[in-house]
Amino acid sequence: MSERPWGFWWTQVRATMRLELKRTLFSRRGIWVYFLAVMPVVIFAGNSLYRMKTGKPGDIGEDTHTFAAIFQLFYLRLAIFFGCVGIFMNLFRGEVLDKSLHYYFLAPVRRTVLLAGKFVSGLVAAILIFETSMVLQFFSLYWYFDSGTRQEYFFHGHGLAHLAAYIGVTLLACLGYGSVFLAAGVMFRNPLLPTAAVLIWEAINPILPSVLQHISVIFYLKSLCPVMIAGDISLDKGNPLGFIAMNPSPASAVTAVLGLLALAIVAVAFSGRLLRHMEIDYGSD
Amino acid sequence: MSEATAQTRIVFEDVSKFYGDVLGVNRVNLSVPPGITSLVGPNGSGKTTLMNLMTGLVQPTRGRISVLGIAPDDPERLFRVVGYCTQFDSFPRGMSGYQFIYSYLRLFGYPHAQSSELAMRAIERVSLTDAAGRKIAGYSKGMRQRIKLAQAICHNPSVLVLDEPLNGLDPLIRAETIALFRALAAEGLHLIISSHVLHEVDVISDQVILLSNGYVVAEGQIQGVREEIQEHPMQVLIRCDKPGELASQIFQNDYVVEARIHNDRQGVLVKTRDADRFYLLLNKIAQNGVDIESVAPADDDVLSVYEYLIGTEESTK
Amino acid sequence: MAVHKRSYRSYAGALTPAWSRFTIITRYAFRNLFRSRMLTAYFVCCFFYPLGCAAVIYVNHNLSLLTSLNIREVLAIDADFFMHFLAVQSAFAFILTAIVGPGLVSPDLANNALPLYLCRPFSRAEYVIGKMAILLWLLSLITWIPGLVLFGIQASLAGAPWAWANIGLAWGIFIGSAIEILVFSLLSLAISAWIKRKIAAGAALLGVFFFGSGLAQVINAVLETKNGYLIDLGNLLTTVEGSLFGHANPVGISASSAWIALLAACVFCIALLERKVRAYEIVVG
Repeated sequence: MSERPWGFWWTQVRATMRLELKRTLFSRRGIWVYFLAVMPVVIFAGNSLYRMKTGKPGDIGEDTHTFAAIFQLFYLRLAIFFGCVGIFMNLFRGEVLDKSLHYYFLAPVRRTVLLAGKFVSGLVAAILIFETSMVLQFFSLYWYFDSGTRQEYFFHGHGLAHLAAYIGVTLLACLGYGSVFLAAGVMFRNPLLPTAAVLIWEAINPILPSVLQHISVIFYLKSLCPVMIAGDISLDKGNPLGFIAMNPSPASAVTAVLGLLALAIVAVAFSGRLLRHMEIDYGSD
Repeated sequence: MSEATAQTRIVFEDVSKFYGDVLGVNRVNLSVPPGITSLVGPNGSGKTTLMNLMTGLVQPTRGRISVLGIAPDDPERLFRVVGYCTQFDSFPRGMSGYQFIYSYLRLFGYPHAQSSELAMRAIERVSLTDAAGRKIAGYSKGMRQRIKLAQAICHNPSVLVLDEPLNGLDPLIRAETIALFRALAAEGLHLIISSHVLHEVDVISDQVILLSNGYVVAEGQIQGVREEIQEHPMQVLIRCDKPGELASQIFQNDYVVEARIHNDRQGVLVKTRDADRFYLLLNKIAQNGVDIESVAPADDDVLSVYEYLIGTEESTK
Repeated sequence: MAVHKRSYRSYAGALTPAWSRFTIITRYAFRNLFRSRMLTAYFVCCFFYPLGCAAVIYVNHNLSLLTSLNIREVLAIDADFFMHFLAVQSAFAFILTAIVGPGLVSPDLANNALPLYLCRPFSRAEYVIGKMAILLWLLSLITWIPGLVLFGIQASLAGAPWAWANIGLAWGIFIGSAIEILVFSLLSLAISAWIKRKIAAGAALLGVFFFGSGLAQVINAVLETKNGYLIDLGNLLTTVEGSLFGHANPVGISASSAWIALLAACVFCIALLERKVRAYEIVVG
């Protein structure tokens, strides 16, 4: 075996992923994550079906704003948030609660390789579920418009650009929340309290001073969204006391993406450090 | 200890483990050779902690451990040579016995065909072939115990650590499993077994390690350990035709503490401080007309040693 | 044939009467609960607000103090005062439920302890009532009991005419708290019975309230309706409590719809408990 057997580690990561993806995507326990993802699709599709049946007209601009609000206030803050809680905390804390983590620790796998395998599995599962849902939501929202309007919006308007932006934001949301809850799952015996703390922090984010709003995942995600929703209009531009403003200027796209990537790297590295010294002690859980 | 010896032994050097303020094990110094070694001690004496320490599931507060020269914090190398059957009666959810072993082997990096072959071979060794395709959740306690054993032996390790491996097995499977342990030991493996069933430990062990309250109170071959216990004279049961005459002859010697005619009046139970001199004396008596049928040590088994060193009170826990 | 002298004597002393046998579970659970210093501290915190309210009522009736402060009254002690009291204590009650509720049934199911209860002269209903009584007691102590004490203080200071004129408030406090306690208790027990992991059950309880509320908003926004509130338990409780204090919900659904929805939620929880609290579990192998 060479000093850095990347090929061998990749084999082990794939073996871990095979186990974890099956556990996350196809277990009865994970059904509720699908529920979180499917519900908005059902609502949008139901609305389109109703409008198609009744012939009730719609406004594409109004729908775009409705989608933006639902995406930011519901999909990011609740659906993806709780979905990532379920998927990523289950990776290690779930195994501790099931008393089955030791089987991984008894295999000739570096703990950092194990962490990589589990995190990538969680990320793939979350992206698969929530990106699919997001794309379906987007299309089911505009489903009831006639094909000409749809084509105009998608190919000559903002449609495809918005879709691409939402796909990117969803991916970064899975990465950001995923890494935070991975670390919480490794660090805390009862991750419920940190989950509640993060939930409240993210929920009260809009009423926090500008400087504190920057210390959150949702701030950067909101900054990347293509449509700003009411109440997000910046109040701090040119204001000397802008740091206490409740509606700070959004972060630039580069800052937001790099900030979220940095958060993910720090959280995963921190988890790896904790995992290297983790002991099997199911008794006190 | 030389480097070469360390490569063939499991070595604990001044190892202590504390769980907060609670003592797991303290100042353990051991050098375990190949063969079957049993860890014996009451609940909470530190048997599982010792096993978890040698497999890296917990880390020592102090001291150094090496398993065939490998540190337990190097899982990549350690678990190529070590298999551990833990006491946890839990499994990954939703898997059949075969899937459990197979996916565990894939983590080792084995390709599909080899993993499949090794998994089936291990399952066959623990006599679970018929149930391999069934979900583990539906297994009986004995079957779960055996599938854990299969998981521990599937990659052909050199060191097998087994925490209460005979728990929940019916007599037939128990006998088969003990035979399997003997076969593995005969192949040159280290087998570290913890057990509460003292007569089974007695039957299968090459050496024992007795633990009490986190301390190693004795280690070595059971007869050797027994001889070291000075405060409890050795007991020997002699079956003969003239027990009264035999008792009077042997009682004249100062190294014989007690000679009592057995309840069935067909033998004498002797307590002696010096077993070697006593056996020499018996030879002389046999030549002088007493017909001796058998001579058998009455208390050099694990149960007696356990009671002498750890106490009857604890042994009943 | 072996003959043994019978030395075993079965218990011949007094037994707990059948009607109060469920209290055994409650008694032991209380003992365990208050071993947690965090829970004890939180429980004590739940009484700060009622104490503050009592102080306000006292100051309101202390003429010399009011005169020295040159004000007529600190706060009007009316329906709004008691409704606000109930709203604050409801928040405390929900958090208390989230801490205590998930651990009531799930550990018994996870450790296969239900057969141990049910192999004794102890029915499934008694088991559920015994577990539920824990929450009924705890939540009562922080909701309607201090509420009625406050009403009593106000009545004693303001005199009998005030008490008779506002007797409806006392009913509002009691009935509003009772429906809330019933919903919280049944919901947390049902979740605890269906999710074997205590931590996951706690997260699910948070999810039902927060996600339900979010989903309700999505339904309302997309389908241009108010029926989304039917799945928002928090809103349903507020509507019912508002109706008891004579406030109509200007934005939500009618009080009768809220009552029916809450009743349906309770029946659903009882059905879930009936399905899950059994002495055996079928494992498909």
